[in-house]
Amino acid sequence: MKSAPLVAVIQFPGSNCEYETARAVRSSGMESCIYRWNQWRELKNSRPDAYVLPGGFSFQDRIRAGAVAAKERIMDLVFSEAADGKPVLGICNGAQILVESGMVPGWEKGRIETALAANHISGRSGYLSGWIFLRTTARAQQICPWLGMTGNGVIPLPIAHAEGRFVFSEENHYRAESSAALKYCDAKGTESSDYPINPNGSFLNLAGVMNEHGNVLAMMPHPERAFWMWQLPPWIPGEWGDRRDKSLSSGSHAAAKGPGSMFFMSLADYFRGER
Amino acid sequence: MKDVSIIVSLKSPDPAAMTAMSTFRRIYPAKCPDSLLRYDHWRFMNPGQGTETVSGIVSRYHDIVNPNKQTWSYIDEFSKPSGPSDDGMVWIDVLVTDRIDSVSENWTAILRRSSCEIEGVLCSVLWRFGFASGISCDDARNRVLDLTASTYRDHGLLANPVSQKIDLPAPLLI
Repeated sequence: MKSAPLVAVIQFPGSNCEYETARAVRSSGMESCIYRWNQWRELKNSRPDAYVLPGGFSFQDRIRAGAVAAKERIMDLVFSEAADGKPVLGICNGAQILVESGMVPGWEKGRIETALAANHISGRSGYLSGWIFLRTTARAQQICPWLGMTGNGVIPLPIAHAEGRFVFSEENHYRAESSAALKYCDAKGTESSDYPINPNGSFLNLAGVMNEHGNVLAMMPHPERAFWMWQLPPWIPGEWGDRRDKSLSSGSHAAAKGPGSMFFMSLADYFRGER
Repeated sequence: MKDVSIIVSLKSPDPAAMTAMSTFRRIYPAKCPDSLLRYDHWRFMNPGQGTETVSGIVSRYHDIVNPNKQTWSYIDEFSKPSGPSDDGMVWIDVLVTDRIDSVSENWTAILRRSSCEIEGVLCSVLWRFGFASGISCDDARNRVLDLTASTYRDHGLLANPVSQKIDLPAPLLI
């Protein structure tokens, strides 16, 4: 019998965030186990309560980020579990896999309706890493099990990607807003499409997209890299900067949880029935 | 003046082509090609001195062609008739281009700044599918489209049409 909800973290060849993601899950009061991409039988038998596809470079980003992993057999299982309502989170490369699997926004079952295209920034191209700010949409706070605790505040998180620009075909522009879960904004919470507030040219300033039921979330920023307060850089302003300063002065810095913890704690709350 | 295009390939086997081929074998065994090649495709628009301008650019910028690990050649996109080639294979080419592409934009800006006589650059990926004899060109083209356009989770691999353009040009002379 499971003592706590089990969250499966799926490791593809080239994943590189699986251990810190699993640690973030455990630090939120849940169990976690890392399954390799070819352990789909073991994964099925362990009957996880939720799934996380971590960041990295699955299959070396060959062909297109996430494209090859999306065709792996283990994704058949994740796809059917998501259809049954189990929570699924894709972080960065995991988000690219969810997009290439047609799991978000999921208007038509299995159809690939969005893309995470190469960053489009004037004067530069390629890989981009740094800290950004984002906010959760009101609808996502209500229906997404990963976002229940995120509130209306501004959340600082790190990004690190070359292909993070959410794109929708023109005929779907009118309904893209309904899939919006996370949006880039400045440190005061104001949305903008200007670089570096929107770091990659993403449509509608989207940093995260969910499916219609909200149980599947694909997000480009890395919450597991901001799980602890000590992971925040000293220049972060606003509410989280104040919290960081307070934890430093009170001596609780090493154990204080950072903004990324809210995503995993939200899921723990969801399983406790508190959301 | 007309555009000049080049293709760039690795001297070693291309890992992306190998991964694509093994994925096709696994998920689309009936449609899998017998050979699959991958090239970086660069189209230089209206270079002032034609191929002379382009060869100057290629020799100057090792980000375009790294001579330690890559080879390149010009391609003439209009000179070869369709049909089986001398080796008995039916070759179908497909060009995948990002609809919005910082790389092309930035290379255009770099080359203009360096006083190259050029209107622009367009970067794409060229995939060459080879099918053994016994398949018509039309059937081969249909298979290539199926394998390329990733429209559903279980359909297609090489291009996501939401963000990428798929062109099946006339077979290229490589």
